[in-house]
Amino acid sequence: MRNARRIALVVLCALLAGIVVRLRGKGSVPPTNGGWRELEGPDFR
Amino acid sequence: MTTALLVGAGAVGVRAGRQLVDTPGLERLLVADRHAERAAELAEALGGSAVPYGPLPAGTDVVALAIPGDPAVPYAHRAAVAHVPVAAVSDDPTGLTGLLALDPLARDHGVLVVVGCALAPGLSDVLARHAADALDAADEVHVARVGAAGEACAAAVRRARRERPVEWRDGRPRTARRLGPELVWFPDPVGARECISVAGVETIHQAVPTVTRATLRAADVPPPRRRLLGPPRPRDDWGAARVEVWGWRASARDAVVYGVIERPGVAAGTVLAVATAKIAGLLPAVQLRTPAPGARALGAVVEPAPFLAELARRGVKAAAFEGVTVP
Repeated sequence: MRNARRIALVVLCALLAGIVVRLRGKGSVPPTNGGWRELEGPDFR
Repeated sequence: MTTALLVGAGAVGVRAGRQLVDTPGLERLLVADRHAERAAELAEALGGSAVPYGPLPAGTDVVALAIPGDPAVPYAHRAAVAHVPVAAVSDDPTGLTGLLALDPLARDHGVLVVVGCALAPGLSDVLARHAADALDAADEVHVARVGAAGEACAAAVRRARRERPVEWRDGRPRTARRLGPELVWFPDPVGARECISVAGVETIHQAVPTVTRATLRAADVPPPRRRLLGPPRPRDDWGAARVEVWGWRASARDAVVYGVIERPGVAAGTVLAVATAKIAGLLPAVQLRTPAPGARALGAVVEPAPFLAELARRGVKAAAFEGVTVP
């Protein structure tokens, strides 16, 4: 019974940590779809 | 009358020399190289004069160093002491550190030493600054490069890939763990290349001082193609740089990605020539971001937009990646 409670506590902590990391994490995925456009006049202002 | 001393008649020096003689206002070009015959050959081709390698000729108004870091540092030192501004192309970490360490000397002598005037570092730092200007606040810069201008540059890239990488984290450069290669997409025809983290992030931080994380990645440089007889074929592969800057725009996380493809020697030579001409007081359209004396990275010295416009006018054109950011 005590072990089951411990396991439940560990799972709960892991879930909470996961939620915090997911919400606060700043790591973003760079753009992957699109294409290259040559820089021209307006880009140099 | 403006006199420029070009040191180095290799892959970058040849292109820089051609660009310098095409710059309005430059009347005299002096060429020096370890191999006197190469200096004489280049000087004759460009209508300049060959001078001995080592001493600084009298009447020199500006020095362009198209040589590796080890010999570049004492040359830049001599020029700074003589109150002559310097632009240096060296991209090896030792050379970059040695040239940036001339900052107190350059300040004392009231002279500008522009460091890392190549494809990456150099043009990549200017692109990073340009991208950071497009954001409200930039805090992360990732630069990747492909290619090498000549054998000295290729050897420096291979050496950097063997050594421990250095990343900029939390306000200072830190030696990082060597991780596996990462696939980086460059503009066509270079496409996707595997790159690994290397040292050399100091110039990125100088270009974008608000950055909290910066990395530099480099793709492998293949050995030169051998001939059965005679010297190896000169390198003519494409080079590329990709600059990814993250930050905030209107309270949303956003990224600006720039890229450039060009023969590495052509790109580095053009960047070196434009930087040299500017610090010699030529090219009025190109503006300096901070004209105060010191030894600083190119990205911290020039205003990015007019500098990129001048490069585009000379055929070195950057591109922006217009993509869809996955949230």
